[in-house]
Amino acid sequence: MNAAATVNVMRHAFHAGLADYRAIFTWRSWLAGWFVRVLFQVSFFALIGERLGDDEKTSYLLVGNAMLVAGLLGIFSLNLTSAERWAGTLPLLVASPSSPILVFSARGAYLVVDGALSAIAALFVAGAIFGIDLPWPRVLAVVPVTFVIALASYGFGTFLAGVVFRFRSINSLVVVTTYVALMAACGVNVPLSYYPEPLELLSRFLPLTNGLLAIRGVFDGAPAAEILGDAALEAAVGIGWMAAALLSFNRLASRGRRDGSLDYGA
Amino acid sequence: MHGLVAGFRLELRLVRANPDALIPLVTAPLFAIIFLAIFRQSGRPDLESDALMAPVLMSLWWIALLQAGTMITGDRWQAVLEPMIAAPTTLASVLLGRVASLMCVGLVSFFEVWAAGWLFFGVSIPFEHPGALALTLLATAFAMAGAAVAFAALFVMTRNAYTFINSASFPFYVLGGVLVPVAFLPGWLQPVSSVIFLSWSADLLRASLKEPDVDDFWIRLAVVIVLGVISFAIGRVLLHHILRRMRANGELATA
Repeated sequence: MNAAATVNVMRHAFHAGLADYRAIFTWRSWLAGWFVRVLFQVSFFALIGERLGDDEKTSYLLVGNAMLVAGLLGIFSLNLTSAERWAGTLPLLVASPSSPILVFSARGAYLVVDGALSAIAALFVAGAIFGIDLPWPRVLAVVPVTFVIALASYGFGTFLAGVVFRFRSINSLVVVTTYVALMAACGVNVPLSYYPEPLELLSRFLPLTNGLLAIRGVFDGAPAAEILGDAALEAAVGIGWMAAALLSFNRLASRGRRDGSLDYGA
Repeated sequence: MHGLVAGFRLELRLVRANPDALIPLVTAPLFAIIFLAIFRQSGRPDLESDALMAPVLMSLWWIALLQAGTMITGDRWQAVLEPMIAAPTTLASVLLGRVASLMCVGLVSFFEVWAAGWLFFGVSIPFEHPGALALTLLATAFAMAGAAVAFAALFVMTRNAYTFINSASFPFYVLGGVLVPVAFLPGWLQPVSSVIFLSWSADLLRASLKEPDVDDFWIRLAVVIVLGVISFAIGRVLLHHILRRMRANGELATA
């Protein structure tokens, strides 16, 4: 498939994703439903800091859990394959001459934007509510890094989507478990140094970990080179997972075609 | 009674066939580990028992909201609501049996967090007032069942119940003081919390794990049960009207 056709497929897939999204949310339901949940989720953890009577911990938990929202939306890309299967379009997609990964990677791209914007809004709104220090104008550096986190998580989610492609029944289980596992392992609630060394090392290969270090660097006044280094590592992790998705997706789809497990009735 | 037992058994089979129903049992130990890590790292071992109880409440709430709450909507989609209503046993007894079954599954999370705390942090549940703890857990499961019936009625009326379900977890964890007591919320939010049975359950669960006697135990337990009964009554009335309207308009099946 040439570049023009690839772009064309991705453009159509992106528009299909946007249409899906508009069917789920209006501005009102996004604000009154989704964003309220996000704010409460971040506040739930920030309140733990209040209970501990430790302002630094409140700030730490608030920042970590706000950024987790960007990761959460990225992981939601896992739901896309399930949705295709339920709609009965998955076998058609696999049978078509274009690669399913192209469609999935573009179709869920709105999740990156939604995730990053939700996380940034949660950080600023909850930050104002809990009175955490948002150092101006340094704090603006949080915006691009949050998009990198959302992209990296999306790459990871797309890779996992390929792995669970043929196992419809465990899709939601994988989404929720992955998200809570990221919450547990990526330095969201406690510093990485608190974990056993192997887990600390493993978490560096997961999305969110390095990006969150960059974000914390912004708040702590770390040198720009350190922040950029962590953000670059986050981007590298995202590219790595997306590459893994590209390499594995078609093979997994072929296997599903062979054993007939792609159909919604399977 | 036959309907109730049949409903209980049916739901157990459905849970076995649908791993999604077990999601809260997978996440409960993970949440326990997260909360314990926060308190341990902050040098507050006195809060470790609270860290173990919060995931239990979160699991029960999630099951009531997602599994039990979408029960009737799911039956309607699968076109089994019509035969269920036509059957000689009452829909309410079957529903109650199914919800009770889910609550029993949810209570497994108590043992899971106990095991997770012990395995990863060497922390056990301090059984200071075991009777109060057991009664509170049972009353909470009962109130959750009441809330589940109200959710089930509410979700049948909603076009996009999942948007609400996705949004109704953490707001209730905060307002219900699941991990952080309601006293830490802004003053204007506290009256809202007082009508949410979760806040009474959470306070009682925490108190039953601490050494001092549990103040006004029976009154507080009664509040949990009464709030559960109110939820159940609201759900029952709503369901009655909705099902009557559906029957009259031929809307029991989605097609």
